[in-house]
Amino acid sequence: MDLSQLHDALASKSYDKVADLCDELLLHVASTGVSYHEEWPYAIHLLGHLYVNDLDSARFLWKSIPQGVKESRPELVAVWKIGQCLWTRDYAGVYGALRGFEWSPLVVGIINAFSENYTKRMFQLLTNAYSTISVADVAHFMGMSEEDATKYVLQHGWSLDLSSQMFTVKKPKIITDQKLDPSKLQRLTEYVFHLEH
Amino acid sequence: MESMEALVAHIEALSAIPEELPHLHSLLKQSEDALRSQGPGLAPLLLHQLDPSKHSLGYLYILEAYLSGPISSDQAGGFLLSVVDFINSCSGDQIRLAPDKFIQVCKRLKDQVMQLQVPLQGVALRTAIRKLQTSSEQLTTIHSDFLLLCILAKSYKTGLSILEDDILEVDQPRDLFLYYYYGGIIYIGLKRFRTALECLHNVVTAPMTTLNAIAVEAYKKYILVSLILNGQVPSFPKYTSSTAQRNLKNHTQPYIDLSACYASGKYSDLEAFIQSNVEKFQSDNNLGLVKQVLSSLYKRNIQRLTQTYLTLSLQDIANAVQLKTPKEAEMHVLRMIQDGEIFATINQKDGMVSFHEDPEQYKTCEMAEHIDSTIQRLMALSKKLRSIDEQISCDPAYVSKIGRERPKFDFDDFDSVPHRFI
Repeated sequence: MDLSQLHDALASKSYDKVADLCDELLLHVASTGVSYHEEWPYAIHLLGHLYVNDLDSARFLWKSIPQGVKESRPELVAVWKIGQCLWTRDYAGVYGALRGFEWSPLVVGIINAFSENYTKRMFQLLTNAYSTISVADVAHFMGMSEEDATKYVLQHGWSLDLSSQMFTVKKPKIITDQKLDPSKLQRLTEYVFHLEH
Repeated sequence: MESMEALVAHIEALSAIPEELPHLHSLLKQSEDALRSQGPGLAPLLLHQLDPSKHSLGYLYILEAYLSGPISSDQAGGFLLSVVDFINSCSGDQIRLAPDKFIQVCKRLKDQVMQLQVPLQGVALRTAIRKLQTSSEQLTTIHSDFLLLCILAKSYKTGLSILEDDILEVDQPRDLFLYYYYGGIIYIGLKRFRTALECLHNVVTAPMTTLNAIAVEAYKKYILVSLILNGQVPSFPKYTSSTAQRNLKNHTQPYIDLSACYASGKYSDLEAFIQSNVEKFQSDNNLGLVKQVLSSLYKRNIQRLTQTYLTLSLQDIANAVQLKTPKEAEMHVLRMIQDGEIFATINQKDGMVSFHEDPEQYKTCEMAEHIDSTIQRLMALSKKLRSIDEQISCDPAYVSKIGRERPKFDFDDFDSVPHRFI
């Protein structure tokens, strides 16, 4: 089994490619007919899917892993625990699952990257969804202590109302590119031509 | 009849010259019976002498003859390897001369991996499809086999590479039914309900003269996915075959009742209905999807509120959609915001939710790109349609049939003065 490509991807921290790479490699290995279940890096493969937020693929991968393999690898089970929390939207449980295991050197890199990403994603979600939110809830969603959470969000321009212990959320202005280039005009001409003929 | 040695010699000599391939093909056809009778014993030896990438056509004939015999279980592993190897290395130009033989080999591969319960090993069929196709618009018999293996191997994402092609050429109706049915299942598994619905819609509305089991199963899933996605089941479009319109509903009664119950919008009623019909859904393997229908009702009801109110308290939302606490309602709303299903902001201080319009203003570059690519696809499709239309109207069989059906003496032909002048 040649996993050098995968190790290269992990070494260069291109974690977003891990899932696709693993999928292709697995197909290739499976088609050669050798028994691969014992050696396949399922934990990394699963994390690859979680990293790109592809929960469905992660779930199907988990279902396809033989029972024996699941039982013999505590790390794999620990990775799936993260997946389960994401699946059931147990927002705070994800942090528990991330911290609740002594990760091996091979996966610790992708775990950290995932964790960082997840915190950012949660912050984005809170920014989107709330206009005011309690300090306790922010700490809960961000998996931090109340002081750390306060520090984090104040940096991003939120403001704290001390009497009610509520944050007021500051929504960033979204700037999108609206410039059109001349080639669009050319295409529009083609459409009109098409419609008239 | 030639001896096997002579045949192998011919294969080796003729395979390299493209002009001689038809000649080789007819030689192989003549030796088919001999291959069948002697093949199973001799084949491993013969195949050993040939190179699957250079002598693909000959290799294919011998392999197919070999496979027509029974395969013992200790041979099976080696057999799979040699077929996968052949599919990966064979020359597409050569095997397209004998597509039936190639399909037979692929079917055998599918049967074997299913029997040995190693469906993932059969994904070589993806390569087989690409080699058999003359264009990516063509649907082959192997398409549905490949998708089935993807489903069995739980490797849904792998199936997408084939499903994303636009299919415009279909040979056998059964291929089409199965392709879109399995395609629907794969998209449901990946929660891409909109595309899943399109696939199932294609099955339900495909022309059919007699009802088939695939269409019935597809219609059941079609109902469930419609409810999850749109909250209602649309009536059949005009181009649906009358067979489907008349019969499908009779075979899917529990699902029709389910959609009626869904329309009432009461969570507890729907839950009770599902409870009392749980075996039926279970035996159809649709229980998981039915449960998703149930949980989508919360969403649907919350979405309905957004159409009426600008702001609403969490308590009121909980009451309106039968949730127990305002906190639960908040989590539901949060979830929907996360999935982009509503646009709203929660104000925890006042316990209120304010609903917004869709912020998309259709003027960003991305959106323009998106619209552009859609228009281009449509233009390509309409061109295709026009060319098919022209092709049909020039077809002698069609023209003569139409000519016969039209009455010989049309009244209008003699009525040279338009009515308005009279």
